[in-house]
Amino acid sequence: MNEPITMQLNGTTISWSGSPQRRLLDLLRDDLGLQSVREGCGVGMCGACTVQVDGQAISSCLLLTGQVAGRQVRTIEGIGTPESLHPVQQAFIDHAAFQCGYCTPGFILTVEALLREIPAADEATIREYLSGNLCRCGSYNNILAAVKALQSGNYSPLG
Amino acid sequence: MAVGQSIPMRDAVARVTGTLAYAGDIQLPEMAYARVLRSPHAHARITGIDTRAAEAMPGVLTVLTGADLGQQGAPARNYGISRADQPVVAYDRVRFIGEPVALVAAERPEIAEAALQQIQVSYEPLPAVFDPFVAQTAAAPELHANVAANRLIHAKLRHGDIVAGFAAADIIVEETFTSPAAHTVPLETHSLAAQYRDGQLTCWTGAQAPYQVHKLLGDLFGLRGDQVRVIVGPLGGGYGGKGHVRIEPLVAALAWKVGGRPVKLTLSRAEEFVTVTKHAASITIKSGATRDGRLTARQVTMTWNIGAYADSSPLLVSSGMVRGVGPYRIPAVHVDSYGIYTNLPSAAAFRGAMSSQSTWAYESHIDTIAHRLGLDPLHVRKVNLLRSHDHFCTGEEVHDMHVVECLEACTERLGWQQSAKPTAEGALRYGRGMAVMMKSTQATSRSETRLSLNDQGRLTIYTSSVEMGQGAHTALSQIAATAMDIAIERIDLVGPDTARTPFDTSTSAARSTTMMGEAIHQAADLLKQKLCTSAEAWLERPAAELGVADGVVYAIDAPHERLTFAEVVRRAGLTEISATGTAATKHGLDPETGQGVATPHWHQGAGACEIAVDIETGKMKVLRYEAASFAGRVVNPALANLQNDGNVIYGLGPAISEQILFDDHGRVLNDNLSDYLIPSFMDLPGQLRSSCVEDDGHVYHGIGEMTLPPVAPALANAIFDATGVRIRDLPLTPERVLRALTEEMSHE
Repeated sequence: MNEPITMQLNGTTISWSGSPQRRLLDLLRDDLGLQSVREGCGVGMCGACTVQVDGQAISSCLLLTGQVAGRQVRTIEGIGTPESLHPVQQAFIDHAAFQCGYCTPGFILTVEALLREIPAADEATIREYLSGNLCRCGSYNNILAAVKALQSGNYSPLG
Repeated sequence: MAVGQSIPMRDAVARVTGTLAYAGDIQLPEMAYARVLRSPHAHARITGIDTRAAEAMPGVLTVLTGADLGQQGAPARNYGISRADQPVVAYDRVRFIGEPVALVAAERPEIAEAALQQIQVSYEPLPAVFDPFVAQTAAAPELHANVAANRLIHAKLRHGDIVAGFAAADIIVEETFTSPAAHTVPLETHSLAAQYRDGQLTCWTGAQAPYQVHKLLGDLFGLRGDQVRVIVGPLGGGYGGKGHVRIEPLVAALAWKVGGRPVKLTLSRAEEFVTVTKHAASITIKSGATRDGRLTARQVTMTWNIGAYADSSPLLVSSGMVRGVGPYRIPAVHVDSYGIYTNLPSAAAFRGAMSSQSTWAYESHIDTIAHRLGLDPLHVRKVNLLRSHDHFCTGEEVHDMHVVECLEACTERLGWQQSAKPTAEGALRYGRGMAVMMKSTQATSRSETRLSLNDQGRLTIYTSSVEMGQGAHTALSQIAATAMDIAIERIDLVGPDTARTPFDTSTSAARSTTMMGEAIHQAADLLKQKLCTSAEAWLERPAAELGVADGVVYAIDAPHERLTFAEVVRRAGLTEISATGTAATKHGLDPETGQGVATPHWHQGAGACEIAVDIETGKMKVLRYEAASFAGRVVNPALANLQNDGNVIYGLGPAISEQILFDDHGRVLNDNLSDYLIPSFMDLPGQLRSSCVEDDGHVYHGIGEMTLPPVAPALANAIFDATGVRIRDLPLTPERVLRALTEEMSHE
């Protein structure tokens, strides 16, 4: 029996006693049923499985569960809900910034982190920051428009 | 009116909150999990399979091999949508690395994975062939009985006097262009669950053609249509790779052997690369032209590597033939389109199917012709481009031709004739290029729908069109709202489920808005008639004197006498009134001459770009890209332009980086997204703008592919403009560009 691992998941304390070597992606998706966390490539290239760990966007396929012990993990469920959308989610809708939607939760988590870390990022910085999330449908133009609208609107990244 | 408005996608909230469930998300009681054992040989005889150790493992339910199939009461051994040459699971031979040899069903995915290691397979390797030209030689192994020289398909088009056409030319230009195998890379890999219980087969799958899956599984299992049910939710990307029939027979056969419990298979990213590929193609194109730029004759020879099995290639290689000539008026045209078996994974549709490869050839080629003649490539295109009422090389009169307007929209925004490109600076050379495309859609296809209005006044659309991110369900809802004249908020939609939604050929070739849209209009007309007839007694007038608008039936001579739709249904003593609609086309070409009608309408698009090439590194940067497609009547402007943008970005992949690399044994070397690079934000052009060309008709044209095929030739034409170097092989990697520049310099 492994030592229980405790983390904060979307503001709730979670204790889990499986292998610390299990991928965070598998823990979130298969064991905890958070199907918004999606596998796209399994090698940290596509960003579909992005989560925030202590506020930073990172691919959960590259993290082992043991590495998040005692840390804050946030998924899209911790960003907003269908009843109460986060401004970044609303901006994605307003700017038609998605197609199939498979990459969308990951993108929104990365955009939320970007606007907190570099609120006044210029376009080149935005492009580079978001280049770890892939949208195969090619909605990049509209994602860029959503980010710029958030920057120029009333959105306050720190809530 | 809902058509023409930029409303958000129907389930936008589910998409941004991550609650949308894809095929891989399905959870069923007692679900078992499948894993596939795959061939390590490109061509071999299977001399024995021992599954006993795997079957004895705790948690393993069963192991399926080819020996289970083909007997009385079992599913058939082979399948194929046009030719049943593909084993569900290999039984005597394997024909490519990655071909399924056995399947395990287990309580947990990890157990199934571990059990694969316990299956012993012995092989006797056979000579393999990977190059379609070698495959046609006498020394090559024969992959399938009765297919001489591995040449499965030879589609022919013969139009006009080709000898006279070339004789009338002032110059004749011949070039060969190649494009490699590639992968559609939907971020959601192929995934499905299947259950076989009490003679009833149910599949929950991410497929673009639910009814093709339905038909094929019925045939494979010897089941009636009502014994097979195919349910398709939203797809995490399709792009052609989830078209026709892919892994459904494999998983359904395993479910049959498991018996009762549902089984789920989700492919790994690596498995995707051996499940379906884009056709590698070699296209030789020879054209004659007069001094003033008029094309007099064109001869095209296309060789498509179809891989180990026919799959959809018999259809696609024939489509490739008519997609191989370009949107030009040419008096004499010959095309030969060959589909050749090799020991590689099977090829199938890749967004812009066959047009990507052929547009790469004919649009690079026309710039070569313009250069040889010393003419502006825009001028040479416009001199030859098809206009409405011209005749295409299939002999058919073309209609709704707007490719000239598409091209002009792009070149004017780019400033082709209005402004000069930037001048060279340091190692940077600047160039501009353009390209057009014209693509047939399915010659023969059918879309049916049922519209149902209930006693609450809500309208439900039953459709087998698949929502894969293109916004089909949103566009169809808008069309229904307009056709029935009710608010879009009152519309519900039931997506593909063969037990509930009527027939549709497939969601492919950008046909849904046109065909399903037409079916909805027809159903709406009938439904409105039925509502008027039902209202006759209450409004005390014959149906002909009643009108329908804004959710009510009213008396034309006294509009204040009215009933809401809901009241009409309720007063008729019903819970719903429904009507069906069907849109169908039936065309085709003569197999010997390629003459006839290739398509109900032609898809059209264009692109123009400005690039910078670093001649010291070969690296290209796309500074500006302008795209346009012909849309007929636009349903949703925001989503339409998103399709156009998305096509350009998708098209950048095979243009600048994407190719599946095989080693000398036919093994994929780059079956992951570290080594197979799809476009990221860093590849987004500095400025990307898209537009739709509309006409005043009421026909919706599909726009799901049109701005994609022009991307690669527009970029190559821009590289030529920048450096004077013509590249004829894709992709345009920095290494290839640099090598071409170096070779050019060594020739000087």
